[in-house]
Amino acid sequence: MKHIALLAATTAAALTLAGCGQQSGGAAGGTRDQIRAVGSSTVYPFATAIAEMFVQGNPGMKSPIVESTGTGGGMKLFCAGVGAQHPDIADASRRMKKSEYEDCQKNGVKDIIEIQIGVDGLAFAESNKGPGFKLTPKIVYEALAANPYGKGPNKAQTWKDVDPSLPATAISVFGPPSTSGTRDSLAELILTKGCETDPAMGELKKKSEDEFKATCTRVREDGKYVDSGENDNLIVQKLAANPNALGVFGFSYLEENKDMLKDVSINGVEATYETVSTGTYPGARPLYIYVKKAHMTAIPGLQAYLNAFAANWGPDGALAKRGMVAAPEAVRKASAEAVKSLTVLDGSQLK
Amino acid sequence: MSATPTVPKRLPTDWKSDAMRKRIARRYAAERRFKLAGLLAVGLSAAFLAFLLFSMLGNGLRGFTRTEIAVQVDFPASPLLLDPNAITDQALANANLPMVTGAVVKKALGADAEEWVSPTAWTVLRDRIKADPRILGRIETIKLPASTAIDLAAKSQGSPDAEAAVNRLSKARLISTGFNWGFLTLSDGTDPTQVGIWGAFKGTLLTMLVTLALSFPVGVATAVYLEEYARKNWMTDVIEVSINNLAAVPSIIFGLLGLSIFLNVLHLPRSASLVGGMTLALMTMPVIVIAGRNAIKSVPPSIRDAALGVGASPVQVVFHHVLPLALPGILTGTIIGMARALGETAPLLMIGMRAFIATPPGGITDPATVLPVQIFLWSDEVSKGFVEKTSAAIIVLLVFLLAMNGLAIYLRNKFERRW
Repeated sequence: MKHIALLAATTAAALTLAGCGQQSGGAAGGTRDQIRAVGSSTVYPFATAIAEMFVQGNPGMKSPIVESTGTGGGMKLFCAGVGAQHPDIADASRRMKKSEYEDCQKNGVKDIIEIQIGVDGLAFAESNKGPGFKLTPKIVYEALAANPYGKGPNKAQTWKDVDPSLPATAISVFGPPSTSGTRDSLAELILTKGCETDPAMGELKKKSEDEFKATCTRVREDGKYVDSGENDNLIVQKLAANPNALGVFGFSYLEENKDMLKDVSINGVEATYETVSTGTYPGARPLYIYVKKAHMTAIPGLQAYLNAFAANWGPDGALAKRGMVAAPEAVRKASAEAVKSLTVLDGSQLK
Repeated sequence: MSATPTVPKRLPTDWKSDAMRKRIARRYAAERRFKLAGLLAVGLSAAFLAFLLFSMLGNGLRGFTRTEIAVQVDFPASPLLLDPNAITDQALANANLPMVTGAVVKKALGADAEEWVSPTAWTVLRDRIKADPRILGRIETIKLPASTAIDLAAKSQGSPDAEAAVNRLSKARLISTGFNWGFLTLSDGTDPTQVGIWGAFKGTLLTMLVTLALSFPVGVATAVYLEEYARKNWMTDVIEVSINNLAAVPSIIFGLLGLSIFLNVLHLPRSASLVGGMTLALMTMPVIVIAGRNAIKSVPPSIRDAALGVGASPVQVVFHHVLPLALPGILTGTIIGMARALGETAPLLMIGMRAFIATPPGGITDPATVLPVQIFLWSDEVSKGFVEKTSAAIIVLLVFLLAMNGLAIYLRNKFERRW
């Protein structure tokens, strides 16, 4: 009997606690004393690193919360509205899309500040024991497209089928899933470029944008391209075990695993810090954070958090040590200006 | 009347005949085969378990240790501008300690030594100065956490450069590896030498508390009502089938439910252990109902009859006799349900608990993460130092699970009664 009474008492106490929480946290117009960021898994390690530095530089502030939802999912949450229950920052591994901007406007998120924090390389890599591939966007497209140039299903089985200069090993590429920002970059930076080498595709683009997109960016699903989840470490492990396979992932993973992997040159350009930073490596892509201007005064520390980004995104900064590639100087200057004067993004520039 | 059919005279079984012996041998062989198959099945599952434990312990135990480098810090001669009489958090934050730490380490160990200590090693200096500002007037030997490269090399799997550095340091007796208390007291971070499990552990405790507080009373009340009060009609059948179905629904569905109801309709705080606990309570409740009903069913009717016979009311029968006797079974079911909830990741991803949260939660409405999600996050980290931390976190989770299951067995043995 005693046990039951005890249990009942604990339960009642816990329920009261739960009830209190509902009242304090549930109010839609409530306040929040910590920064919330959502978005890209590629920006996540950099956003968390800055979060840590922000707390160390501003003792007494609560650590920002960084959620890794993928760029698309993050934009959806970011654009859901203004107020304490919506995030302040969206991390993105590509630029905001026009449709996302319009969604933001519709939900009252009017003034958005766009800040490019750096560059990430989408790297092609193989095991150290690999044959030493040399690729071009055209080869990658012809090897991976579901329907190359709209001429029916992809029949290429080995790399030699695609280009005689390559070894006759079976095509096997480990890469990100379609929900990932890295995959968007693969489609945009490599596949579309390879696709556009065929002049007929340019005409198709004029005729039907949708059909062009489907032909140029759809990846084959017959097992040659292996979707490896959002976990880039898994791709690294798979590559180490399969010397003839290729992997597609963020440049920082390549840097960190130099002892197991080597980069694959594209158009004869090797993936190095310099080539990615200046954008000569075809797989380079910009990393952004988007901030709600309406939250700048309401959320304590938001300006300081942005300043911490600006202080650390240089080539010798803490972010570079963690594998991000610093943006060219002109871009850094423009971003620093955006942080300082909170320039609002002009939606008409977006695609 | 018809003539009785003639029964052929039956010979007694000749156990010694060849046919019979063969049959007996076959039966024994079948018996042995079955025993062997069972043994194989047990062996196989034991082997998998052993493999899991060995690989986890092999990788993970290293995660509980950390390498430290003893550095002689000459505070008066260091480029540190701090007034020992006015040490505040802000003053320490403004003193550019990361740069100072780098300079101090270079001076003590050589030009390339800055890379040997962890990028967050300066926090150790900060805490020492804060604890005792008079240290600023002394020369002191302070143990700083080693960087990931050195840490891995000291545990014998590093790059040639790091190995050479470790050799130099160990010759000078400056390097030591000890238990990493920080792993148990710190929270999530970005530097693998300075991360800990405490934030996620506390989040797990809070989440489990909410889950228990919601699912246990509701589950037990449902079980008691269905067993003791409900009339047997099609309604109760429908409820019973629904509860059994609910127990088998994939957990991600509960996550979607939590997202659409708790977050989007009720506007409860995102990433909070309150919402996590409520979502997991939905998942745990059917398990408790099913276990509770079985436990109540197994209480002999004679006890109810006797209680009613001496004049107890139905409520008294339930609360004084049936429930206490059914309690061990209910508790076992509850703990098994809770253990399942403890290891759950999928529903929590949907409600925003997959997040970097460096401040341990102070209450159930604060943003929090839980152990399995922390493991999931660390497994995706770029830095190599996180590999062993991931395994170490898995060990913590396994110990937690083991403790819960141990508690279930203890409770069962303590309260169990035989009739």
